[in-house]
Amino acid sequence: MAPPSIPPPTTAPAEAAPTSAAPAGFLANKSRFRLFGLTLDGCIKVFFGGNAVVAVVVLSLITIFLFKEGGGFTGQNRANLEIYRRAGLEFVDFMRTQVAGHTALTRELSELRLRQFNRLTQEQKLPPAEANAALATFDKFSDQFDDAVVPLRRLVSDLTETATAIKDKFAINENLSIARQQLLAEGKAAEAEKIAVKPVDFEAELKPLLAALPDYQKAAADEAAKIAAALAAAPALPSPELQARLEKLKSSARAYVNGFPEVEKTLRSWDHRQPVPAARAFAAFVFGREWITQSFWQDWYGILPLLVGSLLVSLAALCLAVPLGIGAAIYVNQLASPREQRLIKPGIEFIAAIPSVVLGFFGIAVLGETLRWLSQQSWLSWVPGFPYSERLNVLTAGCLLALIAVPTIFTLAEDALNNVPRAFKEASFALGASRLQTILKIIVPASLSGIISAVLLGLGRVVGETMVVLLCAGNRIALPDFTAGLSVLTQPVHTMTGIIAQEMGEVPHASIHYRALFMVGLVLFFLSLLINWLAQKIVRRYRIAIG
Amino acid sequence: MDAPPENHFRSRPGAIRAWENVLHWLFRGATYLVLLCGGLVFGQIVWRGAQTVFTTRAPFVNVAFFTEAPESLHVFEYQGQKQELGDRAFNAFKVAHPDAKDVKDESYVYSAGGIFPCIVGTVLLVAGSMAIALFLGVSSAIYLNEYAHDSALVRFIRLAILNLAGVPSIVFGLFGFGMFVIFFGWNVSLIAGWFTLAFMVLPVVITASEESLKAVPKGFREGSLALGATKWQTIRQNVLPYALPGILTSSILGIARVAGETAPIMFTAAYVVRDKLPWEGLTKASDFFFQGVMALPYHIYVVSSKIPQNEYTARVQYGTAFVFLLLVALIASASIVLRSRLRNRYKW
Amino acid sequence: MPAAISPTMERPSAQPTAPALAVSAAGTAASAAARTIIDIDHVDFFYGPSQALHDVSLKLDEKKVTAFIGPSGCGKSTLLRCLNRMNDLIDGTRVAKGSIKIRGVDIHGPQVDVIELRKRVGMVFQKSNPFPKSIYDNITYGLRLQGVKDKSRLDAVVEKSLRGAALWDEVKDRLHTSGLGLSGGQQQRLCIARAIAVEPDIILMDEPCSALDPISTSKVEELIHELKKQFTIVIVTHNMQQAARCSDQTAFFYLGRLVEFADTRTIFMNPANPQTEAYVSGRFG
Repeated sequence: MAPPSIPPPTTAPAEAAPTSAAPAGFLANKSRFRLFGLTLDGCIKVFFGGNAVVAVVVLSLITIFLFKEGGGFTGQNRANLEIYRRAGLEFVDFMRTQVAGHTALTRELSELRLRQFNRLTQEQKLPPAEANAALATFDKFSDQFDDAVVPLRRLVSDLTETATAIKDKFAINENLSIARQQLLAEGKAAEAEKIAVKPVDFEAELKPLLAALPDYQKAAADEAAKIAAALAAAPALPSPELQARLEKLKSSARAYVNGFPEVEKTLRSWDHRQPVPAARAFAAFVFGREWITQSFWQDWYGILPLLVGSLLVSLAALCLAVPLGIGAAIYVNQLASPREQRLIKPGIEFIAAIPSVVLGFFGIAVLGETLRWLSQQSWLSWVPGFPYSERLNVLTAGCLLALIAVPTIFTLAEDALNNVPRAFKEASFALGASRLQTILKIIVPASLSGIISAVLLGLGRVVGETMVVLLCAGNRIALPDFTAGLSVLTQPVHTMTGIIAQEMGEVPHASIHYRALFMVGLVLFFLSLLINWLAQKIVRRYRIAIG
Repeated sequence: MDAPPENHFRSRPGAIRAWENVLHWLFRGATYLVLLCGGLVFGQIVWRGAQTVFTTRAPFVNVAFFTEAPESLHVFEYQGQKQELGDRAFNAFKVAHPDAKDVKDESYVYSAGGIFPCIVGTVLLVAGSMAIALFLGVSSAIYLNEYAHDSALVRFIRLAILNLAGVPSIVFGLFGFGMFVIFFGWNVSLIAGWFTLAFMVLPVVITASEESLKAVPKGFREGSLALGATKWQTIRQNVLPYALPGILTSSILGIARVAGETAPIMFTAAYVVRDKLPWEGLTKASDFFFQGVMALPYHIYVVSSKIPQNEYTARVQYGTAFVFLLLVALIASASIVLRSRLRNRYKW
Repeated sequence: MPAAISPTMERPSAQPTAPALAVSAAGTAASAAARTIIDIDHVDFFYGPSQALHDVSLKLDEKKVTAFIGPSGCGKSTLLRCLNRMNDLIDGTRVAKGSIKIRGVDIHGPQVDVIELRKRVGMVFQKSNPFPKSIYDNITYGLRLQGVKDKSRLDAVVEKSLRGAALWDEVKDRLHTSGLGLSGGQQQRLCIARAIAVEPDIILMDEPCSALDPISTSKVEELIHELKKQFTIVIVTHNMQQAARCSDQTAFFYLGRLVEFADTRTIFMNPANPQTEAYVSGRFG
């Protein structure tokens, strides 16, 4: 039933009413202190309220400043990509990609040789010299294959210089015009006039580059012919496994050669005047697979390797922390004696208090070394990724991050278990269920959403952790090689938090690099908000479920 | 003849029982594994660090380590003897032994001397930021718990607090850098670090304070209001005094967090190295707030990532980590002990 | 202008209200000699969307003890807390209709300072709530709020209030020890002493004995008898013997409505309403 919306009683001016008794003493007869129409108590309330709003203000200021500082990124990256195109760097990179494709094939080829060599020395017990001799035909094939790309590589190297020169010229011009504008802004017109800024005539500058097209055609044709010849003369490998790999290599080499006309077409249709859309500049950040800064050639700001690195490290940490944290929570909350509880809880709180930088140091000084040593033990070689040689990698960082996540997960999961009404437990016991049956069938399901949100908050804590990953994740900026299966966990990575901590101190203010770091911060900020939001949403649903 | 009655309640061994035991030990194992890992980290650092911090001769504590500034360590061989000297001692040595002028030495930065400036910086950072955070946090909690009614604004504030708690510390660092260091032009300074850290720890303080305020029975407020006290009189005389111990102890956890964070001060307040102590060379009082400091956590980061790992550098690395860990552990255990004491003392 | 709402005393009993109220008028008439101090006039009260009081009208006399009785959730405590506006502290509460006048002044009026109101209308709570201060500080709390600093006056008030609350002999040697160290009954009497120390006109008691043992209860009841000489007392109780023992008038509430209001003797011996009879004879509630 909806309440009748009756306004508060209209009060008659009571002081005028004839009263039968002594005058009421509770009229506002005191002239209380007033400021802007507020009583002292009102002022105090406003003061405290103002302080409470600080949390909102800080949160919005964080958002504003991240956007303010990171906001110019898309524009600057667009300019960055535009000069990449204007100066012909893009043009050269098409050819470079072709060279890179060849390099990848060569790498596979030498991998094959190594396998075969090992087979010869270890299984057939040949001395190295003999093994090398046995591989002579393979080497010849391999050399032939290698040589195929030489003309193209030379061409690319020449063109690289040309393009870099154009870019440098442009950069110098930019600096000059900035200096000039500064002088003009200071009102020194005469001095400004002295600075002659001659705009770069890209059309003219690019001529030698575009003129190299026939050279490319020749080099490519040459390469195709040589590869075809080499493949035709490829020797057979004795073991079926290696032979299969060789066949695969051959077919990918053919596919590679077949791609040449496509490259040529791209080169022909390439136009340096084509504008770079803003969306592309933004996409280059979001989907960019490379984060290369302060490069002589071209800077790329792609967040993918960092994002993937962050997620990979966090996932590794969670894989360790979730069973431990939840297991410990269940044990302490349901199984442990009160005495044990009193010992364990402060112990875990203590772990939470270990500063992350100390953990990071521990990782560098002890854990990284220990894990590597372990990985090189022969009895552990069955573990995927073992043995490895990089001391600092996903695994090292993940182990330490797990130690950070466990207290968070433990505390919150324990709270969730604690919130399950006693009645549930008692009812289950009364039906003859054992302790563990009750825990697994009643208590854990009833607190499941609380536990899930505990895991999510643990994830949030781990994703945002800086020092451990900065010190222990290895800081190699590259997309991890997921084709390696589980041993991806033994590769070094770089993370979003790590890159900010590492590079922020050294970048010039308002440069594109500076803005890119703030963009990374924005991604991190919204990622953590998302995780938080999810956790809250799950908890809220859980409350309704318990009723 | 009566047979003894069949015992229907005897325990029945079986797969379920075995499974039960296995699970029990699994959970137990997980718990103790966590504690063991924590213990290992702690133990390793205490063991190695203690070798730097304590000495076998009186006064048993490495005084220089606590009172001197970091220096470079010079390791060299002189007349067949291996010498390890800090910067100043090395220069003095060269003066005393002119023939040692061109001796070939290896030098390791920060590996000699002590960490006094770092301790000072950390104490200053923690004190300032906690003062700000306590002021803001307790005020917010008073508003939320005592004054606020359930309104859209209050829900929004609570949401903001909840979300603020999840923001990564490095984002606070970025924010502090963008706002205080660049926008306000405070440069890398104590005050920029204070505000950055204070904002980071604010949600912890607010939540802790609200819990403590909630623990004060409603009767105290009603009793006071029914006697004609104003709201503020009630809060000041009959709520805050009883909530304050709780607020302070829970906030100690916040202190531990502030002291332990590195990321937010990396580009707002911390210097890798600074010759002057914070109170030296000030031309005017306000300069004090606008100077960067050295800080323990940042120093650990620097010595563990920027210099190689070897026997000479390990001393300062472990020593610093040990001192820092001890500091934070002391703060944390103080809060744990105080909390259990308070729980026993305040029962109404 | 004042005539727009007729003065409280002369309100005719034939109001278009619940039929049961006709009896209440008769009850009031019986004690017509006393002066009305609290006039509750057609009050509707809401907790958010749910209505807790329906059109309650009641006139309470000065220097009398009035008991509010009724089963749990009948609105008696709510009405009591309206009298010194303690309900203001709960979100979403409002007096939607009607007025409450104390000495002729509408206590919800814009001219009324709720702080001043509460100084004049003291309250004793269901659960004794001495502050975790010394006994002395507990009692002087109200006066100190009003700025009284004079030590000798405070001392005098402490003694007077403690004697008034029949606690003086028990605690005079330990005035400066914590009020929390007293027994439950002593604590409740301390709260009464604290309330009378500020010399209010009216004392509201919200089930003051519900947490006390029988001996403490009888002490508090004796106290109420004494206090009646000086103060107007309104007491909420669901102990009917208590209402019968210590009140002059009794109001019976049921489901947020005032069912019957009359002299205590009438209510218990000869109730007009069958519901009242059922309740006082223990058949429900």
